[in-house]
Amino acid sequence: MIQIQTDRDQKLTRRLKLHLAMSVREIFDAIALEQNRPVAMRPFDALFMNFAEAPDDILPAKPVKKVGLYCMTVPEEIVYAAGALPVRLCAGSADAAEAGEALFPDVSCPMVKSAAGFTRTGALPFYRQCDLVVIPATCDWKVKLGDILSRHVPVLMLNVPKHKTTETARLFWYDEIRRLCRALEKLTQTRITRARLRASISLIHAAQAEFRRFQDLRADDLCLISGRDAAEVANAWFYMDAASWTGHVRRLNEELHKRKQSGLGVIPKSAPRVLLTGSPVIFPNWKIPSLIENSGGALVCDELCSSGRLLWDMACVDEPLFDDMLDALADRSLMPCTCPVFTDANDRRVKLLRMIRDYRVEGVVHHVLKGCHPYDMELRPLEAELAAAGVSQLKIETDYSPEDTEPLRTRIEAFIETLKGRRLKSGGSF
Amino acid sequence: MRIDRIRLVVQALFFIFLIYGGILGFSIGNAVPTMACIYAEDRGGSCFLYPFQRFMSLPWSTLLAATIVPFLIYLGTFFLWGVVFGKAFCGWICPLGFLQDLLTKARHLLGIDGARFRWASRERFQWVKYALLALLILIPMGIGSSLAGLPKLSGDWAVPFCQICPGKPLLPLFSGDISHLIIDFSSPVKLAMSGLLMGLTGLFLVGGFVKRRWFCLYCPMAALLSLFDRIGLIGLKKKGDTCTRCGNCYRACPMEIREIADIRDRKHMVTQDCMLCMRCIEVCPENKALSATFLGFPVFTASADGFLKRHGGQPPLTQEDLPHDTDSNGS
Repeated sequence: MIQIQTDRDQKLTRRLKLHLAMSVREIFDAIALEQNRPVAMRPFDALFMNFAEAPDDILPAKPVKKVGLYCMTVPEEIVYAAGALPVRLCAGSADAAEAGEALFPDVSCPMVKSAAGFTRTGALPFYRQCDLVVIPATCDWKVKLGDILSRHVPVLMLNVPKHKTTETARLFWYDEIRRLCRALEKLTQTRITRARLRASISLIHAAQAEFRRFQDLRADDLCLISGRDAAEVANAWFYMDAASWTGHVRRLNEELHKRKQSGLGVIPKSAPRVLLTGSPVIFPNWKIPSLIENSGGALVCDELCSSGRLLWDMACVDEPLFDDMLDALADRSLMPCTCPVFTDANDRRVKLLRMIRDYRVEGVVHHVLKGCHPYDMELRPLEAELAAAGVSQLKIETDYSPEDTEPLRTRIEAFIETLKGRRLKSGGSF
Repeated sequence: MRIDRIRLVVQALFFIFLIYGGILGFSIGNAVPTMACIYAEDRGGSCFLYPFQRFMSLPWSTLLAATIVPFLIYLGTFFLWGVVFGKAFCGWICPLGFLQDLLTKARHLLGIDGARFRWASRERFQWVKYALLALLILIPMGIGSSLAGLPKLSGDWAVPFCQICPGKPLLPLFSGDISHLIIDFSSPVKLAMSGLLMGLTGLFLVGGFVKRRWFCLYCPMAALLSLFDRIGLIGLKKKGDTCTRCGNCYRACPMEIREIADIRDRKHMVTQDCMLCMRCIEVCPENKALSATFLGFPVFTASADGFLKRHGGQPPLTQEDLPHDTDSNGS
């Protein structure tokens, strides 16, 4: 596609690169002061430092086609089976959101603004280098995002059935996944065979095994890893090759396991255990996890499509045949998905209550990005149901910009204090 | 070890026992609630339905007087079998189930994709097994006594279900007896029944190859064994609060039972078509979401670790390790 960059565009791009680098350095300068951080976090730090230092080196240097993905409803196994590298393009930069602002209405999702900002300016090269960008039509923003991005990159839209419990929805989605297969085969000139599908399912299973182990370690009474670091680990999945991510997380898990045995946590046990749920938390927007933990809370788990949910649900190989494996992948990416764009909110409620029990959560923080209407819509009944179950909750409505950090800090601090008070009242100790 | 492989071995052993056990003089009686065919010469036990239909065809005066004791003993034996093993007969013992599973296995080896029922079609045929059950009671009764003033049925109607059960021509084949592969022209009733049977046997083989356990949906024995779904010693339990409704269990279920994935607020999951094959537990990645129980104690429970172990195989280390061979079964 021919791009004519005006002076204004170039200025915008330069400014975005500069601001992005500044915010990345700010994050890692603060991290550098932390003590007691697991050493195995280094590869992840290096990856995200590249956002400032070497944006060209963020993706692995491999001579394969790159396929950009949005949302969790695109099974990465198929991309690997086609011989391409999946790159999750969901973005979290406030500066990029500013660069994309002009393309969207006033109140709109900062995530799509940010992704559009990156694509439009090319400040992060891989947003333009993707050979295909797959966008499932989940929320209203994604529905329209394809049109905006298609000026810069080839886009494939996937229809996502919203009322997923019906047979028509399933069959429809099976067909959409087959359409994706054909598009990928055409792109990479590689046939997705039974053997390749089986192998890529194993590849993802290995990652999921480590991810589940990681989540189990987070459930420990001792806070072995901060919630922000956990978000970093999960965010790294967006850009890393599955096998190398699995290797890095395996080393991290081993280190955390050793720390568990020697009783070395990163957050004191006195910190109330918090669950974060709602709109995604994507690098460099680690505002909320950082605020929770800097205010004396321990973010022990999250129900976010950007981290806790990312690698949880596993596809089962029932019949080792092409159709069945493809259906399994289609099912695993659609059926257990708790995104509020789907009509049934019960799955998410059940999941949250289970996490509250398993991770011994004391307070829930609902994260609503301004413009993320599905989460906002679902929040009211959900809040009432969780309150009925005796769960303390805090709703935060914000966007990517750091402007509201201080008022948010006040509210989160007050919330954490309340949780501490509740623990004292219920006879807990510090 | 995957449970579906263990099951295949157990099924094979029971198959050998039920078809050839008689050679060594073993027998577990003729009230076994499973399709172990009475026409197989060297059987080590036989199907409950044959004697049952015989009993039913006795005149009331005989059944309730002279043969009442043997009949009650016979029903009691069946009841004991049902309470202890219940639907496990379908999944682990039934020779016809085993044949269908072998056909599925053959299909896997040939790399041919299978078929599934549409939800509506599957529900549409749910009544068939109950209708067959009713008929296999009513028709024999019509032989022994006159029903509702109708004339008595002729002896050609004897043991009607056995005359249309695909086990009759197929299972004796394993002891070298091909005499049941016939169309009997001796009377119009026999002609109709044996013709139907040959058609059904063909359907059994073709359908069983295309769709897993497809004949079990119509089995009147499953309808009978459903009596023990709640009171049987073997149970299948679900913990709805850990279920993510990912649908793995439904997709892997040979009987395509949707309730197992969709229903969260029910504990007992042995439904009318369940055959206790435990495949759902094996493919469930959520800790403790599903479990098989014996006398209420869990004996096999779903877990993420177990799920991953059973899916085993060393994962490829890098993307380049993905196989590059092509097989005949691509898109």
